[in-house]
Amino acid sequence: MKETVNYQELMRVWRNPTGLASLTLVNHKAVGLRYIVTAFVFFGFGGLLALTMLLQLSRPGLSILSPYTYNQFFTMHGTTQMFLFAVPVMEGLGIYLVPLMIGARDAAFPRLNAFGYWVYLIAGVTLYASLLLGRAPDAGWFNYVPLSGPEYSPNVNIDFYTAAISFLEIAALVAAVELIVTIFKLRAPGMSINRMPLFVWAILVMSFMIVFAFPPLVLGSIMLQLDRMVGTHFFNVAAGGNPLLWQHLFWWFGHPEVYIIAIPAFGMISMVIPVFARRHIIGYLPVALSLLTIGLVSFGLWVHHMFTTSVSFLGMSLFAAASMAIAIPSGVQVFAWVGTIYESRRLLWRTPLLFSSGFVVLFVLGGITGVMVASVPFDWQVQDSHFVTAHFHYVLIGGAVFPLFAGLYYWYPKLTGRLLDERLGRLSFWLMFVGFNVAFFTMHYTGFMGMPRRVSTYMFGRGWDTPMLITAVGAFVLAAGIAVTLVAAISAHTRPADAPADPWGGGTLEWATASPPPPYNFEMIPAVNHRTPLWPATGQVGPADTYYHPRDDQRETIGTSILDAEPQQRVLLAGNSVWPVLLALAVAITFIGSIVTLVAVPIGAFLSFIAIAGWNWPREVGA
Amino acid sequence: MATEPRVVSAESLPLNLNDNRAPLWWGMWGLIAIEATLFAALLVSYYYLRHSAPEWPLGGIEEPELLLPTVNTAIILVSSVPVAWADRGIRRGLRTRLAAGWSVAVILGLAFLAIKYVEMSSLAYRWDTNAYGSIVWTIIGFHTAHVMALMLKTVVVLTLALRGYFTESRNVGVQINGLYWHFVVAVWIPIYLTIYISPRLL
Repeated sequence: MKETVNYQELMRVWRNPTGLASLTLVNHKAVGLRYIVTAFVFFGFGGLLALTMLLQLSRPGLSILSPYTYNQFFTMHGTTQMFLFAVPVMEGLGIYLVPLMIGARDAAFPRLNAFGYWVYLIAGVTLYASLLLGRAPDAGWFNYVPLSGPEYSPNVNIDFYTAAISFLEIAALVAAVELIVTIFKLRAPGMSINRMPLFVWAILVMSFMIVFAFPPLVLGSIMLQLDRMVGTHFFNVAAGGNPLLWQHLFWWFGHPEVYIIAIPAFGMISMVIPVFARRHIIGYLPVALSLLTIGLVSFGLWVHHMFTTSVSFLGMSLFAAASMAIAIPSGVQVFAWVGTIYESRRLLWRTPLLFSSGFVVLFVLGGITGVMVASVPFDWQVQDSHFVTAHFHYVLIGGAVFPLFAGLYYWYPKLTGRLLDERLGRLSFWLMFVGFNVAFFTMHYTGFMGMPRRVSTYMFGRGWDTPMLITAVGAFVLAAGIAVTLVAAISAHTRPADAPADPWGGGTLEWATASPPPPYNFEMIPAVNHRTPLWPATGQVGPADTYYHPRDDQRETIGTSILDAEPQQRVLLAGNSVWPVLLALAVAITFIGSIVTLVAVPIGAFLSFIAIAGWNWPREVGA
Repeated sequence: MATEPRVVSAESLPLNLNDNRAPLWWGMWGLIAIEATLFAALLVSYYYLRHSAPEWPLGGIEEPELLLPTVNTAIILVSSVPVAWADRGIRRGLRTRLAAGWSVAVILGLAFLAIKYVEMSSLAYRWDTNAYGSIVWTIIGFHTAHVMALMLKTVVVLTLALRGYFTESRNVGVQINGLYWHFVVAVWIPIYLTIYISPRLL
């Protein structure tokens, strides 16, 4: 029997609602785009906070910001870039790209995706509302007790932190579970675990890390909120509590966090470089195993943030060793990337490759200072100085933002149907690369000269003024580079959406469908028989020699086995629903309402129960 | 020589398997992994606070009483049996067994909550007495909240069961609710050992 696709039915079943009804849409691409755009908006806000602070520090004794506002600014800067930008943007890209890369029509739990987005949006808006009220959190993004405890921070500022952070992480956790199950169960037939694109590997590792790293952070925030609101004594020494408990809970999350951000970035680089080097990546298996190793070892590093506390020497030595050991799997990947470029016969020097190469340079520099601060005595010297600030900006901007921009230039045509302007891309890269190094390389020096982080101003004659001025200039150049990409992104939309399905000659399945893809992604699911289905083996036409055709008249995709991706079942996916947004509001009442009154907690919990019941209530049963 | 691709209809594949191949089953394991991490962090916090305390329990609080909590532990452990029995029943299409098993389980769960209430309201300390009170009340409160959520959730599933929604071929909802039930029961064991037994042993 000849299979035909009923496109009318497909479009009817998968259509995204518009107008007010778009609150109910659940499609992974729409939700993923919302995540990405929202995250970049927060990235912009966080960047503006940083520029204001560096302006203040560009000369000694300036008072553009009061110390009180300055504290809120640096806290919100860190909180934004870590919680509201880096993690959500990586998850958003995962939510958008993973189903396309594995040949599925949607993610496993589309409604959960939508729910996560609303939680994220509400939490972010709440935090920025607190800033507009002049009551933003002001004890640093890691919010150490006792400074953040009831005695030294009696104001509402820290309540915003504890409520919004524990609430926000629900979004990260549901997205993580959703991505794991999607990757485990919905891969195209034949896409065995050793044929998954490396970005999918990276998202899988990131998601597992989120599952085990974020709950202690949520717990820590809840404990602090209890200390502040109902008089518990978790962190109160006078009543038997221990402030170091906060540091342990926070950094148990906080160190893996760095790799939660970096691993998807590594995954993007491993996708971009082979396409522009026009060859398979060198060492697929070692690279995938390196991602796994980094994921595991990163849970054994948290105490290196606590070398200046009373942790035992033996403990410190173990954590120092683990911190240095993580350089090995990172190095394996660097060699794989450099080797792939080196072995290329016709390198395509386009913007994505430019950002990828810039990333390799910056990440190696950040890695070197990382090994330096992993050494305990060295760490004691530079703790809380600008040297540490410089180090982690090399890791985070160099190691995550540059790959993200590589990915943005690479996947923008897939996301929007429009290629970004190549000249603007190059200009943006060079401004960002030069500006970044001017700003942050100088900061190493300022740190050595003793400049502490998180001071709102400083006196003349310390030797910090000239380097701080250079840093400020560099930061503005970096910001200009980012602004050029913003211009490129906006101006692309003045041109018609005419990007071809596969503008770069990519090898993985996301390029097998139109740009941007139709809401159902694939009318038929290709049966994959190697790692880069679009670089077919000799004698094969197109990405596969067999296609599976799920039904067109309901939201169906193919479910396969975890390791070998043998087809097992058709999976019926959830459609549009108003319950995700309602549940997000109910959970928001629980968490955000607790800032005002604890009565909100049982009310919100009960409303959440109703929303969960409504969400899961099967339509066949009736009301 | 290139050949034309072959297209096969997926209709021959079953729709939505019920067992551990169902995405929902994996999703529930994801939730359990998150919650297990949360409980583990709570217990680690307990031992961490104890490690830095001069005496334990703090401030002259007596070691926890054993009788009521032990009886209660037995009750909640037993509640897993009717859940498992109901689960096996519906896989064979036995709807009455499903409804009966879960009704018994909910009654056992409510008994657990009632005894917990009696136990906690007779304590001489509260969460704001000292760090010992804080961690004990938080762990118990957290677990109790889970049992309460489980009761509410099960009542919904039970309603669906009574309306005949679940069948031999459509019961993944039953299975994952059962899975979560067993988790909430199992996680009580380390909590019991930590709060009631460890102060006497260590």
